Order: sequence, then structure tokens, then C-alpha cells
Amino acid sequence: MSDQKPHINLAIIGHIDHGKSTLVGRLLYEAGEVPEHIIEQYRKEAEAKGKATFEFAWVMDHLKEERERGITIDVAHRKFETDKFYFTIVDCPGHRDFVKNMITGASQADAAVLVVAAPDGVMAQTKEHVFLSRTLGIGQLIVAINKMDAVDYDQKRFEEVKKQVSDLLKMVGYKPNDIPMIPTSAYNGDNITSKSERTPWYDGFTFFEALNQLKEPEKPVDLPLRVPIQDVYSISGIGTVPVGRVETGRMKVGDKVIFEPPKVSGEVKSIEMHHEPIQVAEPGDNIGFNVRGVGKKDIRRGDVCGHPEKPPTVVKEFTAQIVVLQHPTAITVGYTPVFHAHTAQVACTFMELLKKLDPKTGQVKEENPQFLKTGDAAVVKVVPTRPMVLEKVKDIPHLGRFAIRDMGTTIAAGMCIDLVPRD
Amino acid sequence: MDVAAKLKIMPESPEVDLEKLREEIQAKLRGIADVKDFKEEPIAFGIKALILLVMVDDAEGGTDKVEETISALPAVESVQVIDVSRI
Repeated sequence: MSDQKPHINLAIIGHIDHGKSTLVGRLLYEAGEVPEHIIEQYRKEAEAKGKATFEFAWVMDHLKEERERGITIDVAHRKFETDKFYFTIVDCPGHRDFVKNMITGASQADAAVLVVAAPDGVMAQTKEHVFLSRTLGIGQLIVAINKMDAVDYDQKRFEEVKKQVSDLLKMVGYKPNDIPMIPTSAYNGDNITSKSERTPWYDGFTFFEALNQLKEPEKPVDLPLRVPIQDVYSISGIGTVPVGRVETGRMKVGDKVIFEPPKVSGEVKSIEMHHEPIQVAEPGDNIGFNVRGVGKKDIRRGDVCGHPEKPPTVVKEFTAQIVVLQHPTAITVGYTPVFHAHTAQVACTFMELLKKLDPKTGQVKEENPQFLKTGDAAVVKVVPTRPMVLEKVKDIPHLGRFAIRDMGTTIAAGMCIDLVPRD
Repeated sequence: MDVAAKLKIMPESPEVDLEKLREEIQAKLRGIADVKDFKEEPIAFGIKALILLVMVDDAEGGTDKVEETISALPAVESVQVIDVSRI
């Protein structure tokens, strides 16, 4: 594949049975990424059985088998390209416990495809995934209203589901008018690479056209420097070496840096990536850097490195918008689960339940609710039990989101919308 | 098994024998997850990470058990799931 085209990480989200895998299979097939021998093998089998029609399900099954057999670290993701971009697909798992991985993991999606089956419309998981994509800071969306074949390509049903999806998107802050919503049948290939004759009433983009309309992701180099610390080493002959991934900003050799919450400062003597010395580290770089003036015991995992002029924010309390993914009973004031934000894990107490939001309209459904349960979206006030670094999601999105965990499961996900810094 | 998870395992110090650590991890993960691939990735100043590709079940949910099992080993400093995707 070409290295010249910009690269986009594309997340596939939506309810588990709404045809995500079939859409992925279809994209790969239409982009010419299904190995020729699979198609050839199919042709022979079909001929032998006297079948003439192309059966997509067969190709899908064989693709999956092949992947399970041949998967390696370097080809763990499926890739395809259009004439404009080079795409890597992240097909999001359905289970809620993976939400933590999506929030604290390294691979940030640049755009998402929301798959909604036309017969079902918006389901609980559709809501969750839309909220999560917003929480994850995914600004660009494409909506596939899929399984149109199952509703006889009915325009009325398409419009109904489109309205449901638009309301949902509005609630979390997306602008539905700017988001392509395409009637598709991934199984039959309608409106994927060319306009389908079965939807003569539709005059918008095909799926591949919508992909080409996406904008190239920009590295957040202009935001303040933030490097959440993963581990801290003491290397003989070198000194203290914190290791982590640059989320935003740039770190240069010679920079004065500060680590929060401990508030210790030092100077960057050298930076290495892949064992090679580098002068400047940028967002996405996994680095180790040697700091003068900071001991191994002064800092630890969960601390964040920044520049002293714009130091990482240590919060005394913060306001969060959350969605409750699964909770066996109810969340009330006083509840203290563990918040996973960047590399930090800190127990935080719910101090106030400010409002419950109506997922359909985004309007406040209830002021000061007594409790929150599974499926609720809400705005809450939270106090960490020990100092932690968190940023407003609109200032530094990468450090403004978190997963909330308790008793071995992910119970909620959210973002910091306001905060009171430590004095 | 339908979810591929990539884990980044940081050793407790650069002196840790990653080959031995990998064998230990593979033995411990038997019955929990299917280890498909692994490689050593140079980070900085002699520190190398062990990258592991494992397959887990979407229905079973999460990578917690895998993470806990690996974190419990004395030679391991930290475990981070850097990537998850259905295959």
C-alpha cells in the first residue's frame, strides 16, 4: 500500500447485531483487500455446486477463518485504501468491559462509522457507542443505516431511523446535518461504491464517497505538553528515566519540565524513541526521557509531565458528564469507584448528582436526581480521594476522559466538563 | 475467540530476561487467552517492552484476567492494553 496517502484510524461502532462485521467485510471486498485465492476458491466451489450467484456470507466466513489462523502483531488490524486515504479498521468489541481499553488505550480513532440496522433503529448499545465516541474525542462520523434489504429499501423507515440517530447525535453534541447518513445493505453491497438502484430516493454520498470526505487528522502539537507517565526507571549511568506516550504538545531536549501532582521539576537531558536519540518528541511518540533533578521515587505512574508555564492541572473537584454502562443497583451520592484516566487510577467520590439527561432530546430530564442506574446519562460533581491530573475535555481532550470501574467491571464512562484546580 | 488485544508489558528493570518472561507469561495464560504472537520492542535507554497479541472472547468481556495474571509476575512493572479490535 501507498505511504503517500494520509492515514486514518477508523472505528466501527454500533449495536452488536447490526451488521458491523459484514460492513467491514464489504469494505475490504470492495477495496480489493480480500485475498484473490479466497474468491478463486469460492468460484470453484460455486461452479461445482452449480451455483452462479455470489454469496457474500461465504467470503465472510473464510475471511474470518484466515484471520484467526494468520493473525500477528503486525497484521492485527485490517487495512484498506481509497483513492484518497489509507484506513486502519478498529472494530469495537461489544462487551462493556472493553470500554476501559478504548479510553485508556493508545490507538486513538480519527473517525467512526456508526452502524444502525434499519429494522431495529437506535438500540441501547447504539446510544452507548455514540456517547463513547464523543467521550473519546472522535469528531468525525459516518452513519450507515444498514440492513436496508430487510425493510425492502423503504424510504419511510430510513427517514424514521435517520431522525432517531440525529436526535441521539444532537444530544451528545454532534451536528447531525454535517454527518452523512447512508442507506446501506452491507450484505448486498448497496450504496457502498456506487449508488444503488434499489434506493432511487437517496441522493447523498455512497459509503466510499463519504470516506473520502473525511478530514486528515492533525497531531495536537499546539496544545500544552502532556506526557502521562507509564513507568519510571532508574538506569545506571543515565539516571531517572520516565517512560510514556506524548499525548499533546512537543517535548524538546533542554526543556524545563514539571511533574504533577507531586510538583517536582527537572530538565530534559535526552529523549529516546525505539532506542534512538531524538531531539523533539511529538504526540503519539512512545518515549523514555532522562530528567535531571528528579529522582525515581519522586514520581510514579499516573503523574503527568508538562511545561512549567502551562503545568498539568491537578483537580480538587470536577464536573463530569457520564453515561452509566452497567451497574447492579444504583449510583448515589457517596459512591467511590476508581476512575481510570490516562495512566492514573484514582478512587473518586460522587459528591452531587446534578442532573439526569434525556438520551432522546439531550434536555435535562431531572434536576438533582436521587440515584443513577444503567443507561442513564448524567452530569455529576466528583472529588478525587487523592490528587490527580485531569483536564477539561474541551481544553485537552486526551486528558479529559475516563472510565469508571468498580468490582472488576467498567460501570461508566465520561468526560470532565468543568473543574476546580488545587490551590 | 473474536477479539484481538495487543498488550505492552514493561519489565521491572532493563535486566529482565524477556525471553524467559515471555515463556512464563505464556504458561500462565494457558486456559485464559490464546497467545498468537509476541515481539520485543525497544523503548529507550536499554529498556525493552514485550508486546503480546492475544485472542479473547468478546462475550466473556474484557482483558482483566489477562492483565491481572501478567501483572502478578514479579518481573513485570506494568501491563497496558494498547489496542483492541474484533477480527
